[in-house]
Amino acid sequence: MSKLYVDTDKYGYQSEFAPVEAYNSAVKDLLRRKFSNSDVPWEDFVFELEESLVTKADMSAIEARLLAFGHRFEPSAMSSSQERPEAYKDSGLFNEDFFFEHEDAPTADVDDIGRTLRGAGDNVVNHENNLTGIAQYIRTSDKVLKYLTDGVPENTIAIVDDSGGTLTAPILEQFSGVLCAGGTTRSHLAILTREYNIPCLMNVKLNGIKSNDRIEVEVTARSKTADDYASGVSTLAKIWRL
Amino acid sequence: MSKPEITYSQLLETNNLIQQNSDETYWLCATRTVQESKIFPVSAYILFSYLNCFYRFPELLKKIEANMSAEEVGDRARNSGIKILAWTIPCFYLLGREMLINWGVIKPTDAVEDVVYVMDFWKRFQLSWHRNNGGLTNKQGGHRAQIFPEQKLQVFHADAFECEVGDDLHTSAQEFMATVAQYGFLVSCESRLTIHNHGPYKISDNREMLIRDFRELSEYDFPWLDDVANELDYNNLTVAMVVEDTHITLLDDWGSFEAEPELKSEHIKAIGLWTADNLTDGHLPVGMGSPEELTATFKNLTEKVKEATSKLWTQMAGWSRDQQMDAGALNYFACAKELAHIAGCYEMKDWMMIDERAERFRPLLNDEYGNLFLGELVGMITQPSQMAHGYTMAQHTDKPTKGLSFIPYSILKDEPYTPGVGPIKGGVTNLSDKVDRYRTSQGFMTQEQLNKECRSFTMTCCQEKYRLLCADWVKYHYDTELADELFRIEQKNSRNLKDRGAGLTCQDIEHMRLARVEKA
Repeated sequence: MSKLYVDTDKYGYQSEFAPVEAYNSAVKDLLRRKFSNSDVPWEDFVFELEESLVTKADMSAIEARLLAFGHRFEPSAMSSSQERPEAYKDSGLFNEDFFFEHEDAPTADVDDIGRTLRGAGDNVVNHENNLTGIAQYIRTSDKVLKYLTDGVPENTIAIVDDSGGTLTAPILEQFSGVLCAGGTTRSHLAILTREYNIPCLMNVKLNGIKSNDRIEVEVTARSKTADDYASGVSTLAKIWRL
Repeated sequence: MSKPEITYSQLLETNNLIQQNSDETYWLCATRTVQESKIFPVSAYILFSYLNCFYRFPELLKKIEANMSAEEVGDRARNSGIKILAWTIPCFYLLGREMLINWGVIKPTDAVEDVVYVMDFWKRFQLSWHRNNGGLTNKQGGHRAQIFPEQKLQVFHADAFECEVGDDLHTSAQEFMATVAQYGFLVSCESRLTIHNHGPYKISDNREMLIRDFRELSEYDFPWLDDVANELDYNNLTVAMVVEDTHITLLDDWGSFEAEPELKSEHIKAIGLWTADNLTDGHLPVGMGSPEELTATFKNLTEKVKEATSKLWTQMAGWSRDQQMDAGALNYFACAKELAHIAGCYEMKDWMMIDERAERFRPLLNDEYGNLFLGELVGMITQPSQMAHGYTMAQHTDKPTKGLSFIPYSILKDEPYTPGVGPIKGGVTNLSDKVDRYRTSQGFMTQEQLNKECRSFTMTCCQEKYRLLCADWVKYHYDTELADELFRIEQKNSRNLKDRGAGLTCQDIEHMRLARVEKA
């Protein structure tokens, strides 16, 4: 079978992640076969002929082979696992009883004013006073739609999975605070909470805080800067269950 | 195989531009964190867009230049605003190339003339866009973007209204900027392409001005804004924001900024609002008659943007994954479509379709592969094509990597190469058909009407008489009638500077402002 140009590579060998390598190798295998069968020089194969020989059905077949080995994809968007439960792992997003159990969340026993340390995160903007409110996990568009229809209860501190600004877009300004399990203080969600002047911690690690718990968030902590991230400085703001 | 028509000099420059983008891509991605969304498969659609760019940009950029040169497009964009193009045009295109190299679909010696052309187009556009500060990118300017000429900055400086935390104008402006930023992330499918900032511009010892562009808010090119955004009267809005006692230390090629000390609402001391598109003669003031009028304008806009946000979110949350993929990919790919509008050759079928050649790869782009492959390409720099010899020390990491493949110089000797991807044949979309209705400053138009108007309109400052009258010319000719004419073009809609001509300096404008504050 013909070799591809990239098969001879003095410095590069394979992808870092196994799923990437599996896919990229499969596409290269396909190209080797199609090119070899075409019996034309590369310059006559690439683009026009290749475009007719390498098809969407070929790509679907590559995916089918990977799934046949039992591999299931990690979902990011809700639609992915909803539309293709046979191809994606269960996102767990619709579990009403879900709460974060991050192993690296700082925890401690009840302090002398009755607070139980249950986590920490990177403070986006430092505020004059700590924030207290009721925790609510917001993980699906169904939940957002409910709040969009019924309104967000007062003093709601949203706990969200990812640092995007789209899931909570129509209701974000109604939260009294946001705790986000991903991103940094420069993520889209952080940018938006800063614009709205809503207290927010990013990259939070939580253990044991459930929806409807009353919590206190140390938004008086110093905000985490670009330099802090670059130099690995930890500036964690604490989160307590009350 | 084509005979080389590319020179050694061209190739040296092309590879230099590739390397500049490679280094900055790493820095931007490493310092700006990942994009995530529960609504959109972000990484997957980004990869999809890269492929679309690789297959479509060469022909579409040539189509633009058949109507107007990249430099002239840059002149007009500099005066009316544009989405982020500094990084997007070259890097989206080159990352598509990098994907295909790692799949073995193409070689680094394929589409050589395309690569040279796309990079050259981008360079000429960028140099024109950055004409006033002489750079190619914000990075070259020390992560700073001083795009506007003095005469426009003077108007923004002079006409912005003073505000303080807690007053109506400050509150309404802050709420508007938060709301429109939120809407922008949604319109752009979790990307920041709706929002573009440039500056900072020096106002005084303790004041700087930031220009914040919010682009394509109303019904225009995106099918997903049809009906959703029909209440928004302005497609583009430009906020001039004057900040005090903070210094904008960085404004990068993604248009995002950082300040020291950290920018908070209390630092905002003056604000103004304008609009511009390809059919306005420069920037037009919006609600700038008085602070009260501007406050009411911000409040009105905020309400309309909130309503559009709810409608758009509801629509997007109901989309299929394929629709989310298409919208996200087209939003990225079409970053350059405004250049086609400027040149009067925009066609929906060019810019709002997934190319059939890119469409073939859709089944590969599941969420997991998307996240991991994109992570390797732009963050970890670990794809085989990105590995360099062991003596190499990459700019930011010291690792033996090169994020974007060069064109091998051997093509100038005897190594075979191919010139380009060829013509666009067809495209597909899972989105609703685009309504043939485009919001402009001159009312709604069809695509054909809009192209015709754009082709026949030249803003005054870009007409032959004025186009080449730059800051270096003004410096030595400010006392001429022609210089006065040049400045009056920008001043004609100004509340405080109408017909003042070219003699004023930044300090004069600031003294005028201080005098107004004292009087008040």
